[in-house]
Amino acid sequence: MAVKKGLFKTSVGRKNLMAVTGLFIIFFLIIHLVGNLILVIPSTFFPIEFWGDVENTHDMYNAYSHFLVHFWPVTFVAWILYAAIIIHVIDALLITLQNRKSSGEKYQVTNNSTSIWYSRNMGVLGTVIGVFIVLHMAQFWLPYKVLKTEHDLYDLVLSTFKVWWFVLIYEIGIIALGFHLIHGIESAHRSLGIYPKKAMRILKYIALYFSLIMAILYAIIPIILYFK
Amino acid sequence: MALNAKIPEGPLKDKWQNYLAKTRIVNPANRKKLDVIVVGGGLSGGGAAASLAELGYNVKVFFFQDSARRSHSVAAQGGVNAAKNYKNDGDNVYRMFYDTIKGGDFRSREANVYRMAEVSTNLIDQMVAQGVPFGREYGGYLSNRSFGGVLVSRTFYARGQTGQQLLLATYQAMMKQIKVGKLTQYNRHEILDLVIVDGKARGVIARDLITGKIERHSAHAVVFGTGGFGKIFYLSTLAMNSNGSANWRAHKKGAYFANPSWTQIHPTALPQSGEHQSKLTLMSESLRNDGRIWVPKNIDEKRAPGDIPDEDRDYYLERRYPAFGNLVPRDVASRAAKERMDAGYGIGPLKNAVYLDFKTAIERLGEDTIKERYGNLFTMYEKITAINAYKEPMKISPAAHFSMGGLWVDYELQTTIPGLFAVGEANFADHGANRLGANSLLQASVDGNFILPNTISNYLADDIRTGKIPTDTPEFDEAEKSVKDQVAKLLAIKGTMPVDQIHRRLGKIMFKEVAMSRNEKGMIWAIEEIKKLRKEFWENAAIPGNENGPNSELEKAGRLADYLEIAELMAVDALDRKESCGAHFREDYQTPEGEAMRDDENYMYSSAWEWQQGEDWKLHKEPLEFTEVKPTVRSYK
Amino acid sequence: MKLTLKIWRQENAKTKGKLVTYKLSDLSPDTSFLEMLDVLNEQLATKGEPVVEFDHDCREGICGQCSLVINGKAHGPEEHYTTCQTHLRSFNDGDTITIEPFRANSFPVIRDLKVDRSAMDRIIQAGGYISSFTGMAPEANSMPIHHDIAESAFDSAACIGCGACVATCKNSSAALFVSAKIGHLVKLPQGQVERNERVLWMVNAHDDEGFGSCTNIGACAMVCPQEVQLLDITRMNYEYNRAVCLSAD
Repeated sequence: MAVKKGLFKTSVGRKNLMAVTGLFIIFFLIIHLVGNLILVIPSTFFPIEFWGDVENTHDMYNAYSHFLVHFWPVTFVAWILYAAIIIHVIDALLITLQNRKSSGEKYQVTNNSTSIWYSRNMGVLGTVIGVFIVLHMAQFWLPYKVLKTEHDLYDLVLSTFKVWWFVLIYEIGIIALGFHLIHGIESAHRSLGIYPKKAMRILKYIALYFSLIMAILYAIIPIILYFK
Repeated sequence: MALNAKIPEGPLKDKWQNYLAKTRIVNPANRKKLDVIVVGGGLSGGGAAASLAELGYNVKVFFFQDSARRSHSVAAQGGVNAAKNYKNDGDNVYRMFYDTIKGGDFRSREANVYRMAEVSTNLIDQMVAQGVPFGREYGGYLSNRSFGGVLVSRTFYARGQTGQQLLLATYQAMMKQIKVGKLTQYNRHEILDLVIVDGKARGVIARDLITGKIERHSAHAVVFGTGGFGKIFYLSTLAMNSNGSANWRAHKKGAYFANPSWTQIHPTALPQSGEHQSKLTLMSESLRNDGRIWVPKNIDEKRAPGDIPDEDRDYYLERRYPAFGNLVPRDVASRAAKERMDAGYGIGPLKNAVYLDFKTAIERLGEDTIKERYGNLFTMYEKITAINAYKEPMKISPAAHFSMGGLWVDYELQTTIPGLFAVGEANFADHGANRLGANSLLQASVDGNFILPNTISNYLADDIRTGKIPTDTPEFDEAEKSVKDQVAKLLAIKGTMPVDQIHRRLGKIMFKEVAMSRNEKGMIWAIEEIKKLRKEFWENAAIPGNENGPNSELEKAGRLADYLEIAELMAVDALDRKESCGAHFREDYQTPEGEAMRDDENYMYSSAWEWQQGEDWKLHKEPLEFTEVKPTVRSYK
Repeated sequence: MKLTLKIWRQENAKTKGKLVTYKLSDLSPDTSFLEMLDVLNEQLATKGEPVVEFDHDCREGICGQCSLVINGKAHGPEEHYTTCQTHLRSFNDGDTITIEPFRANSFPVIRDLKVDRSAMDRIIQAGGYISSFTGMAPEANSMPIHHDIAESAFDSAACIGCGACVATCKNSSAALFVSAKIGHLVKLPQGQVERNERVLWMVNAHDDEGFGSCTNIGACAMVCPQEVQLLDITRMNYEYNRAVCLSAD
């Protein structure tokens, strides 16, 4: 009897796909954060012996950006990332549509005391993040990497974050990301289910603290640059 | 018709094996030509349905719930007995047989009881194999607890939800058979009549409770696993929709009803707290393992239970029955509670309860152990009463629980209608005048799983050439018409008295005079009251809506119409039996100490009542012969 | 107590339903929620009006037949209660209470507050059992099972199949129900033989019945009357992934 429907066609399978792509995106987010934290290193730290002739934040950040764009393994991983994001979005849409269909008629009165708002609104948070990603890529990725109209990424970043409402938009995106992560990390591990019981007990706390740290570190970058 | 119990030859311990050796069986190729209808999806009916389907018969199972997993077997809490002797405490089949016979006050059929004890061990094996998570010792072996009326530990349990777990195993076995196509289930269907063709049960008339459609179903044999009719008392431990209708309609078609008045009143249910109460939740008898029952010694005690010192407490069971103490059988415990309450020592605002106290056990074993043993019962108690029983004693009270009586069946579990079988609580033979705790799950399961599949073949062996039973015959026409007529008659009443109110009044009459203690005058009064109430029902019951869809009031009314007749038979039966035995306690036949006084000389029989068309009954007596045991005065002192 | 009830009335799955308001007075706080509906129905019956149809049976929290959503919460205001265990003491005098049926596309309304939950039966039919025919079983004590494992299996097996998990889930996923059965059987040694097929069949059946995907929100475990844990869903996911990798066909 054909019992296997293909890993990604069942309710559990689709959630696996969300989990795997989500976790990959989180992996990227960590790298992305570390890279961009260069932006907040005060210039007084330079020159740093270890990095040779880099004399200030500006040079270091641009060197880092240059490296990302021209080192082929990074480009390769970037393509996987784009695929992961697109699959994550499409899969989310499929799941949401199926779940809308499953839930049928709406309740006249709702009571949400049994769950937390962000766990119920992953789609909304995801949409905010999606819009944010489009904006973010249009601002930096497109001119710098694709069109190659901008060559000094550091200047571009710094000038962008001198506009207060850009900072505000970024903070909104990052807050949405933070909440998305709290539930996403826990949910992804639960969907995969491949962990021992004890790990599942502390998972909730790992997800919370990890998301908090990520969100705070991401959030301080635009603010520091605004005041720089 | 003379009653023939068809008890096999040979010494008691060999009877079942002798029967199995000689009974006729049906060849596997022929089984698929035979249809069986099972009514009821609980432990007995469901067990029968699954086992018969496994054997290869075509089985249809009917039940009124939306899923068989909700059958009322689900509510049994404490456990299931089996003579495994895992505790090395001297248990064996004979001892279990003897305990059950004695518990039933020597009013059960010896051969049936012995067989039940004999196959009890198979049942535990079967249920473990199907995945029932019974309680275990730390070494991994099965654990036991003790129940009322016995001196050994032979009760297997799955926390306080043993019935649920056994039922789920049975339900899952049924679901498996549905998947492989041997079993068809008809949920939300109520059986309203039995169809008899040429003197044999050949089908049923069912009402689809969703569409209201009246359906005909035929089969070569019909099995009733319809449970008990204790809901006749309105306030009982039974489910709201449990009923005696299928049994009663079969009775009116010729099935004798045996010992109808023997109703077990369970000592540990929650007391009634108000007029609109619909249900008395049971607290498992297993609580009496560790709980101590008492009432205050002072009739006008005002202190909170925790403030009453030991010397002012009357542990009346320990006082009256030092050997068994709090673990006396249910009828004795209920009656003792009633005695205290009638004397004015009852507790609670309505003076209708006694205390069940865990203080001593918690001090001895610690709260954790008590929580592991009875946690879900304590939680359930708190949910219903908002009282934390770890801190203060439970308030409990007797409530109608189990029908020892039921359709008369012979050793093959066949009723007086050929081809109609009854299993579980729906039949009568195994428990005598009082059922021991944890024997109900046992009887239901073994009847359905182990006994019926082996006895029904003896009947079906004659039908291998019969072919499908047609449903377009005059017998089906007539049965369907009578069902439709009754539905129309009920809907035509258009009175103003809600069905539940009439049921509540019936319950009050029954609980007052045909329950824990009975007397001649009271029962004559009760019969008159029942007749009056029946008249009132048919003149003034308020049954709104129509028959073409779900109509819960119509369902309830149909059941109540039957209860109003069963009630009368119960009183007639209780009136006839001029002795006290087990749950049947006649005030006019008691010892000076207030204990039951049996009359073996004149009443050593099971009463089997035949319906006479003039709405009266004819009594047939099945004499009870005891070859292995000598009836003694049942003493738990 | 005085209460205003807004109750969902619907003829059948094909027609539209609406909330109808009823008022009740002289209720005792010790009356159970379903007994309150009994009182209402008696009043309706006396007037010859069709009563409010609702599912109920054992009224002691174990059969799983009662299926009301009270003020937006499956089974009522108290966590881990069934509707039948809910008493009026959980409400205040003068409250307005909205009563709706369990809602999910896979639970079509039969009438008023009665819904059809046979989809859950069909999931069990797909594989929620141990295939052990009557009479096949070995001696019960021949297979020792650790006390803690038996207890843990019981925690999952306690599921009463009421469907509150589905009713409360914004995705109408029956993951908690399915995983409770899988958890019960897979923890026990008896359940090992059919381990892979069971989870694959049951998850497929769950999807075929039109239930949604679990997104690990956890509201199901909060309303579950038997406190089945979210961890069971996690275990089911593991079992599913394991089966996909390991099963023979």
